[in-house]
Amino acid sequence: MKVSFPYMGTTVVYKKLLEMLGHEVIMPPKPTQKTINLGVKYSPEFACFPLKVIMGSYFEAIDKGAEVIITSGGHGPCRAGFYERVHRRILEAEGHFVDFIVFDSMFRDRKTFIENVKRLKGKTPLHKVIHALWMVYDMIGKLDKLEMEVQRIRAYEVNRGETTRIWEHIQKMFDKAYTRGALRNAYDKGRKMLAAIELHSVEEENRIRIGIVGEIYVVMEDSINMKMEQLLNSLGAEVERSQYLSQWVTYNMLPKWINWSHEKHILKLSDPYLPIQIGGHAKQSVGQIVDYSRRGFDGVVHLMPFGCLPELVSQSIIPKINEDFGIPVLTISLDEQAGIANNQTRVEAFIDLVKSKHKERLSQGEKNINKSTQHVTTTG
Amino acid sequence: MIVGIPRALLYHYYYPFWKTYFEELGIEVMVSPPTNKVVMDLGVKASVPEICVPIKVYLGHVLELVNMGADWIFVPRFVSIQKGQFFCPKFMGLPDMIRHSFPHIASRLLIPAIESTTDDLATSPKQYREIEEKLGISTAANKRALKKAETVWIDFRRWSLKGYEIPDAMALALGTKNPQQEAATIIEHQQDEITLGVLGYVYNLYDSMISLDILSRLREMNVKVKTFEMIPERMLKERLIGMPKTMFWTFSDKLFAAGYHFYNEESIDGLIHVTAFGCGPDSMLGKLLELDSVKYQKPFMTVRIDEHSGENHLQTRIEAYVDMLRRKKQLNTQRGA
Repeated sequence: MKVSFPYMGTTVVYKKLLEMLGHEVIMPPKPTQKTINLGVKYSPEFACFPLKVIMGSYFEAIDKGAEVIITSGGHGPCRAGFYERVHRRILEAEGHFVDFIVFDSMFRDRKTFIENVKRLKGKTPLHKVIHALWMVYDMIGKLDKLEMEVQRIRAYEVNRGETTRIWEHIQKMFDKAYTRGALRNAYDKGRKMLAAIELHSVEEENRIRIGIVGEIYVVMEDSINMKMEQLLNSLGAEVERSQYLSQWVTYNMLPKWINWSHEKHILKLSDPYLPIQIGGHAKQSVGQIVDYSRRGFDGVVHLMPFGCLPELVSQSIIPKINEDFGIPVLTISLDEQAGIANNQTRVEAFIDLVKSKHKERLSQGEKNINKSTQHVTTTG
Repeated sequence: MIVGIPRALLYHYYYPFWKTYFEELGIEVMVSPPTNKVVMDLGVKASVPEICVPIKVYLGHVLELVNMGADWIFVPRFVSIQKGQFFCPKFMGLPDMIRHSFPHIASRLLIPAIESTTDDLATSPKQYREIEEKLGISTAANKRALKKAETVWIDFRRWSLKGYEIPDAMALALGTKNPQQEAATIIEHQQDEITLGVLGYVYNLYDSMISLDILSRLREMNVKVKTFEMIPERMLKERLIGMPKTMFWTFSDKLFAAGYHFYNEESIDGLIHVTAFGCGPDSMLGKLLELDSVKYQKPFMTVRIDEHSGENHLQTRIEAYVDMLRRKKQLNTQRGA
């Protein structure tokens, strides 16, 4: 089967899994302006941005010969659960009759889920499937670890762009690794390469840390969020993303009893603000902002597609979190109309503010220390 | 003690229920005035700019009720009224938006979580426990009030299904209008008259400020209007059989079914989809129906509204649309004859 899938984040992972199950993978090209234009042309005007970009990706993948598209489903309340219906209908209207394999929750419709798994499994023997799954899970974890490192050190690189270049190279190395040994090698080599990058030395107390939260697609896919991580890094801030693939897989794919992941903790933190799950990642976004402020981050960038239903609710709640914790939050909504220069200016201004706030906090801290030492000297 | 009910969102579907319920408990009910410029501006200022106009209006009504001096404000959290389906995420997070945007009124909000398996809200009394606790009401009294509210609401739905528009159906169910009198005013269906299926949420269509009174505009043009709440549940359900996946938002699902009902129903000459700018569920539903209008050979028009909508623009568009439909109908009858 010539299969394809929506482009999001570190795509080598999905590619690897499908290849190991014996499918021919048609890689959708990384979204570009052309992809977006194509998607916007056929999608409903007020559909959320991810739907439009993915629509464009599908057209491009079909152009390259994809016959089957694998995607995730859902049963709301977020619109993402309905993407496939709309995509399929639009593709049909344009004369493309491709097959979709949609993974809805396995607990809701077990029969279809198992059928889908069987289709994907094909003639691959079971032990090989398990091997493939295990290997991909391992790979996601390793890639995420390296990526977190990248997001930290890129803020201090001496040669602009070096870290990004090396990170791309590392992903290629992982792409070529098909055995566990090769995977381990790629990981070790990647770590060494990252460690060899020349960095400016910045003292611990002068480091600025920014968290990125929001809707998963615009957070994970840097080609449509104006390369937010790189932008923040280039302004001298360390970045941590609210979502990494490994966490998502652990939370969504594994049974509940091994699920004491990060995610549960985050959801708990959001309870005072948003007691129930309202779909998408609204509850997570709220919890993550609280988490970042507790962990002493200097600021949060909140990304969402224009008109995103759940994130609009979290956006409405953010001023209250800001009041309670004093953490600055910048909300940016993205769609095909987003102007890069405009948003860049906003982010730069935001980082300036965050930096001066950081400095203020430091000098406040010093004063407090002086005060307490004074206090000690006077009493002593 | 006065409980304020905002005249927005599902007020237009559940007011007879809520009013009867509270009055049966001996609580005075206060309703905010019909949406006007002041209410709209209050809401627009208080909300996130990107959110859809009905939510903005809702916030305006809440603030207006505070100004009017209501002791409690009734802002239910709508989660689900059908198994496996939800409300739009904005409805689910609405009470949180309100209590965090206006912390000074947070303690005066009544927030029952509405989670039932049918759209008859009396079927799961446990969702009203919050009201028992906050207002000091016994479970028995609560049950009695729910029973009464249910009867009135079912009566209201019955009037809707007979073809009455919601304000009339409400008045009839609540006894402020006499049924005999009303029956006489229904105009007989005329020969060259056209019938439109108008798709839109009750809180947009029946809020004359939001919809710019599209329904009376159509009536003035001598157009008969059918909306989703006039179609029996059973017929809506039939339309959805065999669809691999339907909308998972209850009211969108009903509109979706109503859309196909209108496509299949011979007496309907065309469809108008009235949708709020930035409405998430409608962006999907509208596209799917629009793509199918070719298949069913029935005209389909989208009217998008928000707080900046212009009256003249709307008037011109619907006039042109209705003229087109009339001409089409005349041509068809001539050919037929």
